[in-house]
Amino acid sequence: MKDVIDVMALQSNRRERRLADYRSGPGHSLATNFIFECGIKLGLQPATVATAAIFYHKFFKEADKNDYDCYVICTACLCAAGKSRDEPVRLRDAVNVAHNSINRGAGPLELGEEYWSWRGAVAQAELLVLRLLGFNLDAPSPHRYLLHYLRSLQEWFPASQWRSAPIARTAMGFLQDYHHSPSILDYRAPHIAVACLTLALHVLGVSVPLASTLDDDAAWYSVFTKDLQKEKNWEIMEKIMQVYSKEPEPI
Amino acid sequence: MEEPTGTLRYEKIDFLGEGQFATVYKARDVKSDKIVAVKKIKIGSRMEAEDGINRTALREIKLLQELQHINLIGLLDVFGQKSNVSLVFDFMDTDLEIIVKDSNIVLTPANVKAYMIMTLKGLEYLHQNWILHRDLKPNNLLINREGILKIGDFGLAKAFGSPTRINTHQVVTRWYRSPELLFGAKQYGTGVDMWAVGCILAELLLRVPFLPGETDLDQLSRIFQVFGTPTEETWPGMKSLSDYVQYKHFPAQQLRHIFSAASDDLLQLLDSLLSLYPPRRCDCTQALQMPYFSNKPPPSMGPKLPMPTNLFKMEIEKPSLKRKLLDNIEGGSVAKKLLQF
Repeated sequence: MKDVIDVMALQSNRRERRLADYRSGPGHSLATNFIFECGIKLGLQPATVATAAIFYHKFFKEADKNDYDCYVICTACLCAAGKSRDEPVRLRDAVNVAHNSINRGAGPLELGEEYWSWRGAVAQAELLVLRLLGFNLDAPSPHRYLLHYLRSLQEWFPASQWRSAPIARTAMGFLQDYHHSPSILDYRAPHIAVACLTLALHVLGVSVPLASTLDDDAAWYSVFTKDLQKEKNWEIMEKIMQVYSKEPEPI
Repeated sequence: MEEPTGTLRYEKIDFLGEGQFATVYKARDVKSDKIVAVKKIKIGSRMEAEDGINRTALREIKLLQELQHINLIGLLDVFGQKSNVSLVFDFMDTDLEIIVKDSNIVLTPANVKAYMIMTLKGLEYLHQNWILHRDLKPNNLLINREGILKIGDFGLAKAFGSPTRINTHQVVTRWYRSPELLFGAKQYGTGVDMWAVGCILAELLLRVPFLPGETDLDQLSRIFQVFGTPTEETWPGMKSLSDYVQYKHFPAQQLRHIFSAASDDLLQLLDSLLSLYPPRRCDCTQALQMPYFSNKPPPSMGPKLPMPTNLFKMEIEKPSLKRKLLDNIEGGSVAKKLLQF
């Protein structure tokens, strides 16, 4: 019995150590990790967390990264994304989750000066984010496109083949992870969705039934989006893969 | 020369009103020379108490940015200044509530038809985009001096159609609230807006609110006194709604006795809009295809529609339009709204 406990302790210990230390991460290197971690802790839907990451990238496309506190802006992006997707986050929850993620192991903030200054800063930052975005909240979501494409493909695949590989999960995973990269702003939502799907198929070694009978074997996705060239698709897939080659933060 | 933006772009003409959360004024857009309504939401003072920026305002911004229709209020611009956010809307001279209440105005059958067509067309577009308005009532149907009706106040509007999404039933001002909402339905669709349209049509004929309930229970009681108490046969699943209560049996009345001046084709539309069982209620597209809209008389052309006689006087004496604009602002939180009842 003792052995089992030891192994578990070791594992949880290792997991503990793998958590990012936001205080030591230089500059904005951990910003999107922070958004994802806090978003998950706040129980937000993946698409809402992704929206927060988009808000973050858009904000710092315009603003100088040295002018603002990274984690205050990240928290504000989560609040703004929650409201824009009708999944509101209580400001107090957001502040506590953010504070606790930065100061691991600390309890909830007392209703004191630190709490109020955090809260005020996040509220101000939220408005700033919205203003810098020009109040354009209606970003077309690649999640919707991907879901639609997956459903269509599922009908096209023989059921057994579809079940044999986690295509949907992999593609959705790529899409979610791609939100770590600011390059996601450079492409249209349907193109990003197709790229995630193509990459998932390549990684899993699955090919679309009868696609090889087409003149161009990439043409299967032309039913989804007509204006995506093969080169462009590869370009986006490379950008997605770059997310994974980012050096893990020194622990 | 740089284009004027934000506050520089809008020249204040007239102050329309001030509420707890916002100030509304009439302004001239320097860029287009158009008259607009600017709704300035105060944030700075409330930010500490609230959860940041007003969610109602944000919802209105987001929804209206994706919607473009002649019969929906246009959101022309949004800008921030210091810690305020301002929404710029089409300027509307009056609303249907003022017109209904104005005893100097005669509403002809052709006028009523014109208002209904414009309301249903705007709402049809909204529903086609999977959005419920959830707060239709005469004072949210805004009218400008060209006689164009636009649906306004999207503070409660919401996307619908997701089978997993649970909605609140605490929407729609009581008099226009459908029976399923009053019984606490958490999953509902376009029927809630259709019912409200039915109540508005009835009000255009009667010139007073059709079902002015004093409490939620009284509201249902008034509904059943007209349409008869539904049974599990006429409304399957009614008894499983969370706030269901047994009502005493009322027989259904003939609509033609209540609306004695209404034509048969109009009564047919009214009957279809005000079906107790939500799936039996017509949608906007079906409503617009009913004989009422193709039969005589043809709807009045916009410029022929009546305007309040004191419209111009009102502008000098701080109009009651102010009241409506403020209503919208106060309508920020549903809880607040309910407390007012």
